[in-house]
Amino acid sequence: MINKKGFEFSFAWLFAIIVGAAIIFFAIYATTNLISTERRVGDSESAKQIGILLSPIETSLEDVKTAEITFPTETRLLNDCYEKGNFGRQNIQVSSKLGVGKEFDFPGEPSTFYNKYIFSEEIVQAKRMKVFARPFSFPFKVADLTFIFNADRTICFINPPGEIEEEMTDLNLENIKIVDSLDECDEGRKICFDLVNRNCDAEVSTLSNSVKIDNKIMYYGDDFDNALLYGTIFSTPEIYECQLKRLMKRTSELSLLYLEKTEYLTAKGCSSNLESGLRTLADGSAAINSSFGIRNLETTADELGRRNAQLICRLF
Amino acid sequence: MNWGGEMHSLYADYSKKGQVKIQQMAFVLVAIMIFFGLVSLFYFSIRIANLEQSAVSLKEEDAKELVRKLSSSPEFIFSANDCSNCIDLDKVLILGERRAYENFWKLDYLEIEKVVSKTDKQCNRGNYPDCKFIKVVNETNDYGSVVSAFVSLCYWESNKGGYVKCELGRIHVSGEGIK
Repeated sequence: MINKKGFEFSFAWLFAIIVGAAIIFFAIYATTNLISTERRVGDSESAKQIGILLSPIETSLEDVKTAEITFPTETRLLNDCYEKGNFGRQNIQVSSKLGVGKEFDFPGEPSTFYNKYIFSEEIVQAKRMKVFARPFSFPFKVADLTFIFNADRTICFINPPGEIEEEMTDLNLENIKIVDSLDECDEGRKICFDLVNRNCDAEVSTLSNSVKIDNKIMYYGDDFDNALLYGTIFSTPEIYECQLKRLMKRTSELSLLYLEKTEYLTAKGCSSNLESGLRTLADGSAAINSSFGIRNLETTADELGRRNAQLICRLF
Repeated sequence: MNWGGEMHSLYADYSKKGQVKIQQMAFVLVAIMIFFGLVSLFYFSIRIANLEQSAVSLKEEDAKELVRKLSSSPEFIFSANDCSNCIDLDKVLILGERRAYENFWKLDYLEIEKVVSKTDKQCNRGNYPDCKFIKVVNETNDYGSVVSAFVSLCYWESNKGGYVKCELGRIHVSGEGIK
């Protein structure tokens, strides 16, 4: 028997199904790619904007400057440090949280800086980030160090020296708690000063000017107004060591610049007699390969600073 | 039963109506492709124009922020006295000769200029300080818009027993273009 009410699967139907499926597939594929590309463009722009935002935070005559960066959604800031080249380089990338699919996709294009030194964890994930900057002098101003951390995560400074306590209180960073003992800090990152305890995330020894994190020891020296100490606290050992080497490369180039300046001015009656000290500092800082080496250069830098301060025609 | 035999002719009876339908579908398909092609072309041309505009404005914004802070940069700052907006012109003269600083600030153009000067000549060790300007960075002739700021230019003046002389100057900066 023939069913006369049967559905006739005509060419038009076949065509509509195949072409319709192809168009829908293409539309979904294009939209997904477009969203991903647009997000990467947005993240790349954000990385560039962060770099621009960090410029006004740099100091001139001030000791310290603070700021807060608020993102529209939770964002990851990726901090990469490279030590190769004349000055090394600082890369920052941004990856913003997505409402659908993977929470954080590939970050945007990196924003590269040769004159910035950011001390933070490799990935800072937050909606609000605190930023503060301090100048680093060795003995002349070398750079501004920028510290970035999650504004919503508590950091406990346990039993810090008076000057650190005073400075943190003055900065009014609400997520940094100053406490006397480890028991007073329930949550967050624990920075212990002159205290050895397995619950400490970082152990600062003010006697040896060193900080121990994940069984790695970083040296911060004695004469840098705590700038390098904050560097050890707010970054990882890998970032710290890399940024320190970059800072030393810049110190070396600046020493050569001052050396040429003093040689030029000597002929014009403004002699400093700092040539040998500057040469030693330039060579020593260029050759440094870990934070331990900074201790050997401190004496040279101190001596240069002291002798320069006594000059009538000061070099720096 | 005879399974053999010869096929004398193969004949398919395509209807005219069917042929027109196939043509119609083909036209629709081509039209759809052209439509999507035009839409994406339109979208990408607008998007690329916006991106270029955004890159240019970011470059200008960067240059504006940089020109404000450049005088405090260790390579420029006159640190012998506490002067926040003073540039050490002696240091800048030497800085202009140093190759290590190429691309350090990621700028296409950076010039320090004396506002009042008797000559229009570029500074070198021979005519300094009786000159008009020092070009620290000059990467390209097509550097776009330039941002300027007033600064104090301080240098060691050897006359009259030697003293620090400060003059009014300007700093001109243009951000790095899209490459």
